[in-house]
Amino acid sequence: MAAIRNRHLGLIYVAPALLFVSAFVLYPLGQLVWLSLTDTSLLGGGTWVGLENYAEALDDRAFWRALWFTVKYTVVITPILMGLGFALALLTSQNTPLKLFTRATIFLPVVIGLGTSSLLWYWLLDQQVGLFNKILLDLGLVEAMPVWFTKADPALAAVIVSVTWKVVGFGMILFVAAIQSINSEVIEAAIIDGASYWQRVWRIIIPLSMRTLLLATLISAIGSMLAFEQFYIMTGGNPRGQTFTSVYLIYQNSFISFKLGYGAALSIILTAIILVFSALQVFLSNRSASE
Amino acid sequence: MTLPLLGRMALALSLSTAVLGPVAAHAETLSIWARASSSNAAQHMVDLWNASHDDKLELTTIPDNQMVTKLATSVQSGDVPDLISFDLIFMPDFMKAGFLTDLTETLGADPNQAKVAKAFQDLASYDGKLYGTGFTPDVSILLYNKDLFEAAGLDPEKPPVTIAELQDYAAKIHATDPDNISGYYFSGSCGGCNIFTQAPMMWGSGAVLLPTGPDTPVLDGPGVVEVLTMLKDMWEAGIIPESAESDTGANFTATFETGTVGMQGSGGFAISSLKANHPEMNFGIAPLPGIEDGQQSSFVGGDVIAIPSGARNAELAKDFITWSLTDEAQLEGLAKNLILPVRTDLADNEYFQAEPRYITTAQAVGIGQTPYAFHFNDMVNADQSPWLTMIQTAVFDGDVEGAIEEAREAFLDIASD
Repeated sequence: MAAIRNRHLGLIYVAPALLFVSAFVLYPLGQLVWLSLTDTSLLGGGTWVGLENYAEALDDRAFWRALWFTVKYTVVITPILMGLGFALALLTSQNTPLKLFTRATIFLPVVIGLGTSSLLWYWLLDQQVGLFNKILLDLGLVEAMPVWFTKADPALAAVIVSVTWKVVGFGMILFVAAIQSINSEVIEAAIIDGASYWQRVWRIIIPLSMRTLLLATLISAIGSMLAFEQFYIMTGGNPRGQTFTSVYLIYQNSFISFKLGYGAALSIILTAIILVFSALQVFLSNRSASE
Repeated sequence: MTLPLLGRMALALSLSTAVLGPVAAHAETLSIWARASSSNAAQHMVDLWNASHDDKLELTTIPDNQMVTKLATSVQSGDVPDLISFDLIFMPDFMKAGFLTDLTETLGADPNQAKVAKAFQDLASYDGKLYGTGFTPDVSILLYNKDLFEAAGLDPEKPPVTIAELQDYAAKIHATDPDNISGYYFSGSCGGCNIFTQAPMMWGSGAVLLPTGPDTPVLDGPGVVEVLTMLKDMWEAGIIPESAESDTGANFTATFETGTVGMQGSGGFAISSLKANHPEMNFGIAPLPGIEDGQQSSFVGGDVIAIPSGARNAELAKDFITWSLTDEAQLEGLAKNLILPVRTDLADNEYFQAEPRYITTAQAVGIGQTPYAFHFNDMVNADQSPWLTMIQTAVFDGDVEGAIEEAREAFLDIASD
């Protein structure tokens, strides 16, 4: 009897959260799935087409190209953000007079919107008026104002630089927290035992920060898989559609070509890929914790 | 039978309302949406109307790239504005989707409608009915730097009248300082910029570009190959700056403003912008040339005005639309603020006398065209649209014929949807 009462009580407690999740997550997700099974246009209409949109996606060269580019971007930027973020966390964990100032400076771009920072970097790298280009020119590092966005690789590099500048401070703060949560006695014991700084980093700090590292990697990878603003503003998907990300393609199909049904199918596919990817990360994270 | 006091009061009130009805009717407030890039012009019209009418207009500015989404969702939810001013190229899609109110009777009875630029009249027609009219036009023109013309030994008062001349002049300008001066500029990664500025050079010579259905002509007639070849040759000769290839339109106006570009296709808006931001610049404007002299043309762009289906104050909204075409609105609301009128008979007006470049631009509205196409976004504006891909493949890869053939197929594929 008490168990039944407790179960009812439990349901009452979770009801608000359940309602919230149903209204703002499950219902829209259901709508999205339904939309992906129709040929709905933004301009109205729409009939049931079953899995046709999914079949079209698998046959769509633009989809595969965008997916491949998104994976490439994620694979390149995630280690950069993690490595640099961790290095900066180590650096700013040293007891120096400028420690707080350095941390604050590196963290500052995190509070700027991604759109704003992308626009800022777009103009800094502009061929005609870009300050960054002008500095390179004045220093004699280049012979003419470089053009960053005419080739896919320099365009990708430009976006990676801008996103790293914008986001790396977030990772750094996470890692600083992880490093500071390590019991100082462990570090002190290692120092007494004669461990060098790098030995302490490799054998104590990194293993004990692994859960945070994996969590940050997961957040960063999901964020990168959903990249849109930085490419929309800085490259416009160019040159020749070579910097289209998956989300950009979804946006384009849904709101430029008005194909909401097809855009929904692409969204579902991307969601499924991210879910698989996240499950793998969580599994690795749990295994690491149990070890 | 005697009425109770309250009943008598109610009767007296209803009788007085019936008698005094028209006098006591309260003024309405109409909502009008305009896209951001035309909101300045729309605001002038709204202010002029509000100054002389009891019924007021309230303007809401919508970011350009959100207009279609906002209108589509508002029509579907039944909560629409009374009036809407939007990019004219969406007119065919909106009419076909049933988003707009039929204005055939209203505009058919208005003598001013016949004086509106033909491009607007054609574009606002669907199935024999009229759904809107021109509101705040803009038109493409050729912008050229007179100082660079002079430095190249060209007559600054004689802009090119054929594409062959354009290419020749651009080469001469570039030759004056090959490292720093470009002869011609265009935004190579912007479909919309190129339909605005390159397409008139094609259709001025008689070409038909976009299909209206799966069996209609597409990229047909002279001009297409010639213009693409001209651009390709200029690109290969280094007459066009390297940055053109990746410009998504962000530098559409900024590059000419640096003073290092001889010519580029632009819009009438450039006159005010250059005069305000670069008063030192000595520039001229001309119609966009075709293959032969006399084949000049332009793209009539800008905004149309219409009433969304289900608008609450449709009758008052119709009054505003007919008022917007009057001499008063066209001259005092638009021309006085150096904005082009939609009526071609008012191109040469008192307010443009001090700046003949406005008159040239206003006259271009009369000779210009606007392509009538469904799925215009998909065909032209999308980041990898067939139109843009054709230009990029032809100019930057050098495959003119292949680019046209591929685009033709893609256009017809979209048109069959």
